[in-house]
Amino acid sequence: MDVWQQFIILLEGVPLTLSISIFSFLIGIVVGLPLAFIRVYEKEISFVVDAYEKIFRGVPEIVLLLLFFFGLRPFFPFPFGNAFFVACFVLGLRSAANQSQIYRGAIRGVGDEQMIAGMSVGFSKWRAIWYIMIPQVFNFSTSGLGSEYALLIKDSAYVYVIGLAEVMTRSLQLAKSGPGDYVTPFVLGAAIYIALTFPFAFWLDKWGNKRKKKIGL
Amino acid sequence: MADFVMEARNVYKTYSIKKIKKGDAACNVPVKHQVEAVKNVSLQIRKGDIKLIFGPSGSGKSTFLRCMAMLDIPDKGEIYLGDECLTAPGADLNKARARIGFVFQHIYLFRHLTALGNVELALRQVLKLPKEEARKRALDALNEVKVSDCINKYPAQMSGGQAQRVGIARAIARNPDIILLDEPTSALDPELTGEVIDTLRDLAKEGTTMLIVSHEMPFAREVAEEMIFYDEGKVVETGPPSLFFNAPNTDRAKQFMTRIINRTTRE
Ligand SMILES: Nc1ncnc2c1ncn2[C@@H]1O[C@H](COP(=O)(O)OP(=O)(O)OP(=O)(O)O)[C@@H](O)[C@H]1O
Ligand SMILES: [Mg+2]
Repeated sequence: MDVWQQFIILLEGVPLTLSISIFSFLIGIVVGLPLAFIRVYEKEISFVVDAYEKIFRGVPEIVLLLLFFFGLRPFFPFPFGNAFFVACFVLGLRSAANQSQIYRGAIRGVGDEQMIAGMSVGFSKWRAIWYIMIPQVFNFSTSGLGSEYALLIKDSAYVYVIGLAEVMTRSLQLAKSGPGDYVTPFVLGAAIYIALTFPFAFWLDKWGNKRKKKIGL
Repeated sequence: MADFVMEARNVYKTYSIKKIKKGDAACNVPVKHQVEAVKNVSLQIRKGDIKLIFGPSGSGKSTFLRCMAMLDIPDKGEIYLGDECLTAPGADLNKARARIGFVFQHIYLFRHLTALGNVELALRQVLKLPKEEARKRALDALNEVKVSDCINKYPAQMSGGQAQRVGIARAIARNPDIILLDEPTSALDPELTGEVIDTLRDLAKEGTTMLIVSHEMPFAREVAEEMIFYDEGKVVETGPPSLFFNAPNTDRAKQFMTRIINRTTRE
């Protein structure tokens, strides 16, 4: 099999790698934002967020993937029998723990004054968060989110342990099936991962700078 | 009771802050330090009243104003908005704040919204007005404070004076029962102070109920019915401007007035 053929096989794994990463990133936003705001503005229950972050940042995701897939599948075939679901679930919740920390810094950047101003016009705490804080939080988290996305692209490689045919799994299969060429498939795979990582972080940075300029930071 | 638009009864507010006490470099122990920012302050405001609070920096004026709007919760005492006791358990504070306009010393416009967006947001999402009506009322308010030329500008693109007038528009657009203003001009350059003071003068002419923290003495003399000298968390002396400009009863008020009048004439 020549290099080009190998490359095509790996490229066919890109949609899966990308969709796992993007779904996980979105889950990370949807779960991570409330976690960050609870941590900052609901002091009485912020220990729950602490515990959540410790667990999802402390346990290697490979362990979580195996645990949720092989461990829970017998009991809850739906949804844990679906490897794609488990991949997004685990990577998404882990990303939420990271993103929560990114947003916490960003909330400090936006400033408590914005929150107080929101409450002064009649918003409740959580409605002020929705209408005033969240639209501004992303201006202060672009660089953190850029690296978080890169991390997700990379870490999506771990899902080979639950048998999803994404880029990493395909590299491994090529390496094992070929006549002892372990170099080409992994070098090609590495190149694909790099290519997937940078454009988004680059775009995010540009977007962030434009926004910051607009609001005068 | 309902005589008053707003009333504060024996309000107290203490902050405890942790200070690092500098001992040996090895044992910098944090010490709890109490700041009594508001000590037994009472105040009544009738419809159409304009009252002015003044006093030294750090004496607790901002804290008291925040307590009035329940943006800070008093430790003790009661705040009434009309008949409603805001310090009673279960009071709907969000609803109450929607009836109180607040103007901040450091303006605090919503940075991600244009001038129009800043004024419109609460009309749409708090008062739940239909889109057309919210737009109209926001434009009216911006027009009233004479910033119609920057309705589509973001706060970062406005001058301090424009921004503060948008802040005032944001506060008045809801037709609140009362407007609380915390040193609305003290963060502005002297040449921008005038335009904001003019706006406040217009509001005064229309009979807007206002409680203002300010050291703009000529303005105070012109519009305030009552001036309240505030020091170390307490109301020290209360009276009409004529009292303070001629002969205040307390020494502290006398000293403060002398200092402030000298300062303004030097400028
Ligand atoms: N959120 C807070 N936490 C702790 N201490 C505070 C807080 N807000 C105010 N203080 C303290 O309370 C005291 C009164 O502050 P406040 O801002 O109310 O004074 P002020 O009269 O408005 O002063 P200025 O004229 O400088 O605005 C100060 O000693 C201040 O350090
Ligand atoms: Mg103040």
